[in-house]
Amino acid sequence: MGSISEKYCIVGVGETPHMRPSGRTTLSMACEAVKKAMDDAGLKPRDIDGMTSYQFSDSCSSDSVAAALGIRLNYSHEILGGGTSTEALVGKAIGLIEAGYCKVMVIFRSMNGRSGVRMGGQAPEGPAPPVQARGYDQFAMHWGATSPAQYFAPLAMRYLRDSGATTEAFAEVAVAHRYHASLNPKAWFRTPLTIEEHQRSRWIVKPFRLLDCCLETDVAAAIIVTSRERAYDLRQPPVFIMGGLARSNLQTPGNRLFAMAGVSPKDVDLVSAYDAFTWTALLLLEYYGFCGKHEAPDFVKGGRLQIDRDLPANLSGGHLSEGYTHGVAMVIENVRQLRHRADDACPGWAEGKHSYDRKRGCRQVRNARIAVSMGEGGVPGAQLGSPADATSEMYTSALLLRGIWS
Amino acid sequence: MSAGSVKTRPVPKATLTTKPFWDAVNQGRLLLQYDVGAGCYQFWPRSTGAKSGSPNLQWREASGKGKLYSFTVTHVAVEGFEDRAPYVIGLVELDEGVRIVANLAGVTPDEVRIGMALRVTFENMPDGSKYYAFEPDR
Repeated sequence: MGSISEKYCIVGVGETPHMRPSGRTTLSMACEAVKKAMDDAGLKPRDIDGMTSYQFSDSCSSDSVAAALGIRLNYSHEILGGGTSTEALVGKAIGLIEAGYCKVMVIFRSMNGRSGVRMGGQAPEGPAPPVQARGYDQFAMHWGATSPAQYFAPLAMRYLRDSGATTEAFAEVAVAHRYHASLNPKAWFRTPLTIEEHQRSRWIVKPFRLLDCCLETDVAAAIIVTSRERAYDLRQPPVFIMGGLARSNLQTPGNRLFAMAGVSPKDVDLVSAYDAFTWTALLLLEYYGFCGKHEAPDFVKGGRLQIDRDLPANLSGGHLSEGYTHGVAMVIENVRQLRHRADDACPGWAEGKHSYDRKRGCRQVRNARIAVSMGEGGVPGAQLGSPADATSEMYTSALLLRGIWS
Repeated sequence: MSAGSVKTRPVPKATLTTKPFWDAVNQGRLLLQYDVGAGCYQFWPRSTGAKSGSPNLQWREASGKGKLYSFTVTHVAVEGFEDRAPYVIGLVELDEGVRIVANLAGVTPDEVRIGMALRVTFENMPDGSKYYAFEPDR
């Protein structure tokens, strides 16, 4: 990112509860999340002039949210996208603010991901399944490959063979994220898991078991991006954007990301890795250089992704245990951690007062200074490509953030 | 492997570029695009060669033989496929050097191994159409 590294900040975050089902419209949920992010930052409707969101034609538009909240926009735009979108839209926000299109940008995702359009299958109230398979899908859907689990699973199966790992490596991810969810009052699943419980859960799409798959929920979540100058005037400690990637290929993304800020994986205090499935989170640790190729199973062994250990991951519980937000919650959690204001069981969390006692429900990482979130997507193309390692054809987005306390 | 419920099983929607491929499949033939400039095959069908950038592409009949690159066994099926579970979706690496997604036939999920030799076969659907699958090449 060079000269504009740390010139922009995330200043506000907000989300609805995770619901199954919400019984609400995506517009109603989006308004709640955006309003909460504005309140978090101390911004009024007149202060917001940009808004953008991502969706799969399953949600409301920025201009409808703006109209409902009394916001007049100088920029509004929706994109199609999934798990690589939050970080990518932060990159767009920076470019648009830098170019003068707007000054304060809201990014949101609102979806009835459980009761409406489900990524992993159809809900009764959702739209009918497609009769015709288009695009990439014409070479996959007829054979029953229609859900993200089925796109990722063959790549995960090949990974297990090439690395020599077993699905106990997947269990480590599920157990770590669930442990963090147990410290998060907002998380849907809060009962800690064991490796054995993971191994006993039923097959969904081999090699993924039930506890390898994320938890579809109805939810909306929002973040707000603006310039550093503006950020210093707002309610929360600013969180600086050191660097980012937007729907990049997976050829050494970590090298490019960390070079933007002159840091290395060793400087990172916590991560969020896209956990649509346990394996995707595992793989990202390798591609971003936290460990070498095929080394993640050893790297995560024995609870090393848990808080107070080597590399705390997905501190909110992630998509596996907190609920599926299509990536926004990964950024929201990292922002709260870097503010030292994780919204946990500590009575003084909003003022940054934490006990650091995990038994009393504190999930704030000690001295959190630098965090990275890593999104992932683009699998159908990877299945049909021809390179030796199909996973290298996937896409990723990322956000490298620094807190003011460093 | 049963044909499944054809009512909801998605039907490939051919484009101008992919129509020759699907027409051939319906006649029980597997065609691949050969990128003349780069001297290699490509899949899925495109309007230009991914390696050469040239539109000089030839349709050539594939050997239909290959190895299993990877696979998944679907236990919880999506709508339209419930009566087929558990079923195998394979990523097949053809001898021509491209990967293709298809079901595996004539093999139980427990017998499937990465690297196993496969050959193309065609399944007849109740509506008279044909779709490719792969079976063990013993």
